[in-house]
Amino acid sequence: MGLIAQLLVNMLQIGAVYVLFALGLTLVFGVMKVINFAHGQFFTLAALMIAVTMPEFTERFGFPAWVDYFVCFALALLTVAILGVVLYFVGFERYLRDLIGSFILSVGLLLLLEGVYLWIFTGAPRVVPKLLTGQVSILGGALETQRLVICGIALAATFGLYQLVNRTKLGRALRAVAEDREAAMLQGIRYRRISFYGFMIGSGMAAIAGGLIAPLTAISPSLGNDYLSKAFIIIIIGGLGSIPGAILGGFLIAAVESFAGYFLDSSYATIAMFMLVMVFLLVRPQGILGHAER
Amino acid sequence: MKPIVKWAAAALMLAAAPAASADEVLKVAVFAPLSGAAAGWGLGAKWVGEQAAKEINDQGGIKAGGKVYKVESIAYENGYNSAEGAKAAQAILNRDGIRFIIQGIGTAPVKALQSLSERQGALMMQVAWGKSVKGPQAPLTFTNSNTPFELFGPLFDLVKKQHPEVKTVALLNPNDATGHEVEEEAEKQYRARGYDIVAVTWYERGTTEFQPIATKLAQTHADMMDLSGAPPGDSGMVYKELAVQGWKGVKMQAAGTGADAMVKVGGDAVEDVYMGNAADFGGPAATPIQRKLNEGALKALNEPLNILQLGAWDGLMAVKAGIEKADSIDPKKVAKVLPTIIFESSYGPTAFGGMETYGYPQQMLVPIIVTQIKHGQTVEIARIIPAELEQRLAKKP
Repeated sequence: MGLIAQLLVNMLQIGAVYVLFALGLTLVFGVMKVINFAHGQFFTLAALMIAVTMPEFTERFGFPAWVDYFVCFALALLTVAILGVVLYFVGFERYLRDLIGSFILSVGLLLLLEGVYLWIFTGAPRVVPKLLTGQVSILGGALETQRLVICGIALAATFGLYQLVNRTKLGRALRAVAEDREAAMLQGIRYRRISFYGFMIGSGMAAIAGGLIAPLTAISPSLGNDYLSKAFIIIIIGGLGSIPGAILGGFLIAAVESFAGYFLDSSYATIAMFMLVMVFLLVRPQGILGHAER
Repeated sequence: MKPIVKWAAAALMLAAAPAASADEVLKVAVFAPLSGAAAGWGLGAKWVGEQAAKEINDQGGIKAGGKVYKVESIAYENGYNSAEGAKAAQAILNRDGIRFIIQGIGTAPVKALQSLSERQGALMMQVAWGKSVKGPQAPLTFTNSNTPFELFGPLFDLVKKQHPEVKTVALLNPNDATGHEVEEEAEKQYRARGYDIVAVTWYERGTTEFQPIATKLAQTHADMMDLSGAPPGDSGMVYKELAVQGWKGVKMQAAGTGADAMVKVGGDAVEDVYMGNAADFGGPAATPIQRKLNEGALKALNEPLNILQLGAWDGLMAVKAGIEKADSIDPKKVAKVLPTIIFESSYGPTAFGGMETYGYPQQMLVPIIVTQIKHGQTVEIARIIPAELEQRLAKKP
């Protein structure tokens, strides 16, 4: 029981961040029909910003670690928002619904931003000071208290986005554009404005995921790459553009990583994920909850 | 022409002659990852290569064949993989015509470069750990720091003496050429000392979530965990998760190159980790040049120097000594004399050996430094001078 509980705990804590990251990517695709390979760079920037600014804050002001963390988190979100605005208006706005153009642009931005981060922040791994000490046991599975809290925040953020998309006017507009752009525009929805909002919300989700993962891992300019490849797997399995699909896919991939990683090997778990993608692409290319292209 | 003009012209030519000789430039390459998870190693090696070139130039350059060569060290990105390595190899050898590589980092890219460098007659100093990199079939390839084949035996002997209660070991390595070479040697050396290997596990480089890996390792209940070839940051994460999951035992990173990143990431969980390839170049056991370089690295890179990065210094010093002994910049002539000379490395006088292990004397004989993390610091607990080096130095006239 203890082992299964540990594997489930591992799955939940990994899955919570995967979902948050993948939600942003799938939202951007759904609204803009753009596959943003630079999505991981928003995630990385948020984590790096917190890792760089938090020790400075702690040294200067001496507040409790969690106060410094949330202040630095807000600063990181602001920085990512500025980067998002610049990238959208300089680049992505010109390639809306252009898969090839946006692919080339986003791969270029991925390389450029990783190089810039490396130049500014260097390649040395950074860490964020511990926010909460201690650990908890859930049915015999152990995890750090701060990981549990962060996992809770990630799930809350996922729920918040789900509510935003399903229950607000903006959410309805986002869904309408994702479903049928022309029909949405005929209803008076401003496509470009909604695309911009979708891009910013998607980037924001990546930044929140990056900010939440910051206290839990070693942060380097290549941090986002692992999450990006997993997020692609998640959204293909869950269904491109589908919010519930990203949630389902996120936890499914986390389950594969946790259970296959234990019963087979970590390397085999990675292979299993790609095998799963291949099976889906062959058998159900629209993913579990995606819609088939008409 | 008036006599005075003739004399002036002759004087000018005479003055210009040595200057022309001094202007000869010998380009050397540092071939390392400059981006990605292993960028720290490459950026450090690049910086060390530049410092070594500056030191040689300040001392008047390299003298050979009646010429004086100034050295220029150029760093090339090898991406820590064979595809990027092959691209950089083309740039070094064919585009820029460089014939001396003073430091190559990463088994996969080094093998990619070696497939060209040996054929094109270029000499390479590197730190790839594979046994296959060296041997009579690759006479132009040399290793400028210790590899698992030199390190593991003495390190495991020492740990066995300090922890006789340890009977079982679990191994974790990255799933690539470096990881597999390290694992093979570690397993062989552990078994030779009577240890029971209870798990051999692999993970992909770039992994960020280590809880499933830690769960698998913790469930083996091994007395000792050896994360041999894992980068320090990854090791810190694994030991941290192992501590959360309640594992207690002897911690080993047999091929560990540095404590700084491991301590930053793993905190208290990495206390007492043994490392076989790390050093404290700011500590009392370091030589003056190592301390000076370490201070410079702290200022320039915000990181202390490690053994792999320092290899660029020793690689260039070996090349300089070889060129001057051969009195030629022909890499083949230099490679021929290297095994015969004793030269000044950052560790002090050293030489090349390893005939018994590799079938060709291509291994730089430098001390094996065993360290342990104590209170978050790298503490040297033993410095073992290779017996072969002691014999060579004793024979020195």
